[in-house]
Parts: sequence; C-alpha cells; structure tokens
Amino acid sequence: MAAASGPLIRAEDLWRTYTMGAEEIHALRGVSFTIDPGEYVAIMGPSGSGKSTLMNLIGCLDSPSKGNYVLRGKMVSQMGDDELAEIRNREIGFVFQTFNLLPRASALHNVELPMVYAGIPKEERLARARRSLEMVDLGDRVTHKPNELSGGQRQRVAVARALVMGPSILLADEPTGNLDTATGEEIMRLFEKLNADGHTIILVTHEKDIADHAHRTIHIRDGKIESDEPRVR
Amino acid sequence: MPFAEAIRIAVASLRSNKLRSVLTVLGILIGVSSVIAVVAITEGLDAYIAERVLELGSQSFTVQKFPDVITSREQWLEMQKRKDLNLRDLQAVRDACDACAEVGGMLTTRRDAKYGRITQENVVVMGVTENATRIGTMREITTGRSLIDDDVDRGSAVAVIGSDVADAFFPNMEPLGKEFQIDGHPVRVIGVVEKKGTVFGNSQDNFMWVPISYFQKMYGNRRSVDIMIQARSMDTFEKAQDQARVVMRNRRHLGFNKPDDFSVETGESVLELWQNATRGIYVVTVVVTGISLIVGGVVVMNIMLVSVTERIREIGVRKALGARRRDILRQFLVESVILSLFGGLLGLAGAAVFSWGLATVLGNIMSTTFTAPVRLWAVLLAMFVSTLVGLVAGIYPAGRAAALDPVVALRNE
Repeated sequence: MAAASGPLIRAEDLWRTYTMGAEEIHALRGVSFTIDPGEYVAIMGPSGSGKSTLMNLIGCLDSPSKGNYVLRGKMVSQMGDDELAEIRNREIGFVFQTFNLLPRASALHNVELPMVYAGIPKEERLARARRSLEMVDLGDRVTHKPNELSGGQRQRVAVARALVMGPSILLADEPTGNLDTATGEEIMRLFEKLNADGHTIILVTHEKDIADHAHRTIHIRDGKIESDEPRVR
Repeated sequence: MPFAEAIRIAVASLRSNKLRSVLTVLGILIGVSSVIAVVAITEGLDAYIAERVLELGSQSFTVQKFPDVITSREQWLEMQKRKDLNLRDLQAVRDACDACAEVGGMLTTRRDAKYGRITQENVVVMGVTENATRIGTMREITTGRSLIDDDVDRGSAVAVIGSDVADAFFPNMEPLGKEFQIDGHPVRVIGVVEKKGTVFGNSQDNFMWVPISYFQKMYGNRRSVDIMIQARSMDTFEKAQDQARVVMRNRRHLGFNKPDDFSVETGESVLELWQNATRGIYVVTVVVTGISLIVGGVVVMNIMLVSVTERIREIGVRKALGARRRDILRQFLVESVILSLFGGLLGLAGAAVFSWGLATVLGNIMSTTFTAPVRLWAVLLAMFVSTLVGLVAGIYPAGRAAALDPVVALRNE
C-alpha cells in the first residue's frame, strides 16, 4: 500500500507532444493534479481529449515530454525503459477494456505473470495467484482458460492479476466497455469493495454512469483539465 | 524472467503451431541430417575399404609396368614407353630379395570361356606361378587341388576355377576333370576356389588360375608380367620393397638421378586414392550443409518475425505487467533456439534412419555387413550448429519485439 505521507501521485505541468512529420501535436498541454492514497478517481473526456495519453503517463507506459510526474515520491518522468518496467510491475495494476489475458494460459498462469517478471519463486507465485483469484471469487476457476470463462469472469481474472503484486494504483481503462450492463455493474461493485479495502483506483472512461461510481472526477478536454471535482451526492 | 519460464512459453508457442514449426525447421532438418548421414556413410565406407584393402594383404606388394592410378593422358603416354617386365626380372628379384618370402608372377586378361554350348563371359584369366595364389589374400580350395610347380614347369592345360565359373558350367556335376575352352584352347579343371561374393557389385568369383607358362602359350610372351611379392613380415615390408626396387633399377641400368621406370604398388595407394576422394565428398557436404543451414536460418528468422508480429499485443501486455526489454528479448531468442534445436533433433532422427537405410542397401549390394555409425561428435556438432542458427536467426526478431513501445503494442489489434 501507499506510503503514509504526502500524495500518492503528483503531476506537475505535464505535456505530451507527438511529432507527425513537420507538425507537432500537443496531446496534453500542462496538466497538474495530485491524488492521495485511497482515492477513487475517474478521468473523463471525449475521444481525442488526451485522456488516454494521460492514462499512459499515469500507468508509466509513456513518459511526458515536459513536466514532472512523481509516484510515491519517485520521479518517474525521468526514468528509463527498464526502470519504468519495474515501476509498472510493482506500483501499477492494469485493467483493460479488452481484458488482455494471454489466451493460451490458464487463469492461474495469467495471474502469475506479473510475479514471473518480479522474479518471485514458483511456489510463492502459485500460492499468491490462487489467493488473488479467490479474492475475486474465482477460486474454482483457476485452471480455466480465458475462452472458457465469461466476460465478467475474464475481467475478474484481470483484476486478480492487477492486484497480485500489491500495487499502489489500480488503473482501469474502460473496464466495462466490453461487458453488458449487468456484468459491468458487477465489476463496478468489485471496484467499490476494493476501494473500501483501501486500494487507490483510477478509472478512465467516457461513460458518465461508470464515472459516477468514483468519488472524484477529472474532466479532460483538448489536453487540459476542464474540471476536477468531488462527486456530488 | 527465469529461463525455465522462457522455455515453457517457447514450447507452448511452438506446440500451438505444430505444422508451422515443422515446416519452418525443414531446412535445418535437411542440413543436419545430410551432414550426419554423409559423415556416417563415408566413415562406414572408409572402414569397409580399409578392411578390404588390408585383406588384399598388408605385407604384399606388386612390381608392375603401369601404376594402379593414372591421372592424366600425358602420364598414360609416358607410361607406354616403359619396358615390359618379364619372367627373368621375376627370377632376378627372387634371387636377390632376402626380405621377400614369396616372389610370384601374374598375367591377367578377361576372356569368354565356353563349355559345350554354355558361355561364361568376361572371366578373369590369371596366368600365375605356383606360389602366386599364396601371396596377398589366401583363398581356400574347396574341391580338388591347387596349382603345383610341375603344372607351371610343363605348361599343363589345367585350371583352378572360381565358383561363378563352376556354377555356370557344372551346376549339377562334379567339375573336377572336366574340360572347357578359352579362346579355343582346352583346359581341364583341377580345383574350385571358395566363394567370396561381390565388392562394389563386382563378383570376386568369376576367374580362373592357369599356369603362367600355359597362359604364355595361349597369348604369347609379349605381355608385361606383374611381379607379386610377399614380405617375410610387417617389419621387412619396406625393406622388401627397397630390395625389389634396387634389383629392377640395376637391371634397367638406371642412374641415381633417374626415376623408376616401373611401379611398386601396395594396397595403401588404393587407400590413399579413396581417402582423397572422400575428402572431396566432405568438402561438398560442408558446402551443401552450409547453404541449407543458411536457408534454414532465414526461414526461422522469417517465422520468428511473423511470430513477433502476431504477438505484438501479447508483448504489450507483458510489458505493461513489468516485462523488461531483456525479458522479451530472452523469450523470443529462446523460442528461436528451441525451434531450430527441434529441427536439429528431427535432423538427427532423419540421419539415423537415412544412414541405416543406406547401410542396408549398400550392404545388400556388396553382400557384406556394412555399418554407418552416427557418431556422438556429429550429434553434438549438429546440436551446436542448430543452436547457433537459432540464436543468429532470432536476434533481429527478438530485438524488434524487445524494442516495441508498450503503448503502441497495446493499441495493436
């Protein structure tokens, strides 16, 4: 879990610029915010607003062109490829719209995968993967392959995989986008439970219904923060 | 990521593409199996030849007009100018060579032999001195007797025949005492020689021995005699050759700076010729194998590029979950090496089957047992080479996979 003192994430004037031939495209134009441990934040915005770019930066998949990104006191914005890989491994748990499970691997092995890259020994990996799957109520499905599971079950496997390393942030990108409404609600209830247990969750979505589950919503438009406000109950 | 994990992933990936994997490694399979099979077979042939040549007699040699091996027309023309050897040369060598146990003479020709209406073609007719049959390989007489001094002294019209001739003329009869004809000359059978079978498809039993004196009666005495010599022991083998050479040079009045105008041949010169030939085979094999391994490597590289392209998204997921560049690099390198090692192993199996099959076929042709052993060093070399091919072929695709930007990879459909 996150360190006790100070914010979990501090983003200061983040810019992300892509060069397309001679043209420069600014996907982010100076974004600043902080997120404290235990928060449940939704990042919203229409397509092309820069929310995906911001998500990539928060998830340490990409580095800003300008500005600082501090995660748990570490200056991530100046790290190299391999350091970023380690940060992703230990600090970030990804949940994707399309689940992104390895199709030929069992649920158990999918959940094991982050621990493989962390160099955790086999027995411990298996025990922890099992525990993680039990936490999302899939203890009886460990040997099933993704194509033997329903969409909701697959996304729960993905959540189990995201949580198994005990990350600082659970970063979910349209986690209900490929699920029907009922199953989507089921996943959102799981997120709420996880947040109640103390997990920091960042939810990237363009659906207001989904964003309303979060306790704080950051709206992005044209690469800038349009609004940043707590949920009105 | 530990190696075990990389290997597990690689094997799973290859198993999910069985047909593709097999097709991919065909080049390596052919390369590896051809090199091992050729090595095994030449080695088998080497052993076979050496055994046969040694059987010719490790302590015997011949002094003859022409060398066993003539390599050019110029040499052939030069050899034509040499003087014939005759029975007086033979006698001189016999008198002067104390390292020689036996000195015999032989004249050879190929003729059709006739018995009644039966013709046996291309019989090797050997006019020999009485002792010539004891020089080199011994051959047992199964019926009757061998030639004796008396036959040679008188020039008797008698013959000891090989089993092919006996079988052709006298399938259900006692051959001894029967008379048949060579070129209109009558000969009487006094003995039959044990069967030996074939060497490289040539029967070793289609021959007859007649006294050298009778041979000269039939075909004249203007042919060059081959002087056959058996040394007393392995130790005096060289000495016997030197003595025979000195006698011949003295008789020809050759100055010290003149080369021999006759040839001294041992079984070893044939062996040498054979070994030169197999060296050629080796070189060709290495070149062919090299080409097929290069082609095999290119195919593996191509398939690895396909494999990387197919799994861009998987690579993105792995990177998102914390895989570093070197983890991805290792995963694909291991996959490439395992793929080509798999080809190498198939090649080994192929080579074993191929050389076993060829050994059986060759063994049948030569009617002897013939082994083509697959050597451990060939196996290790094959494994090493296919690992190397896998590494080289895998570097570029694996490097591309490792360098993928996770954001781009995850967006890939």
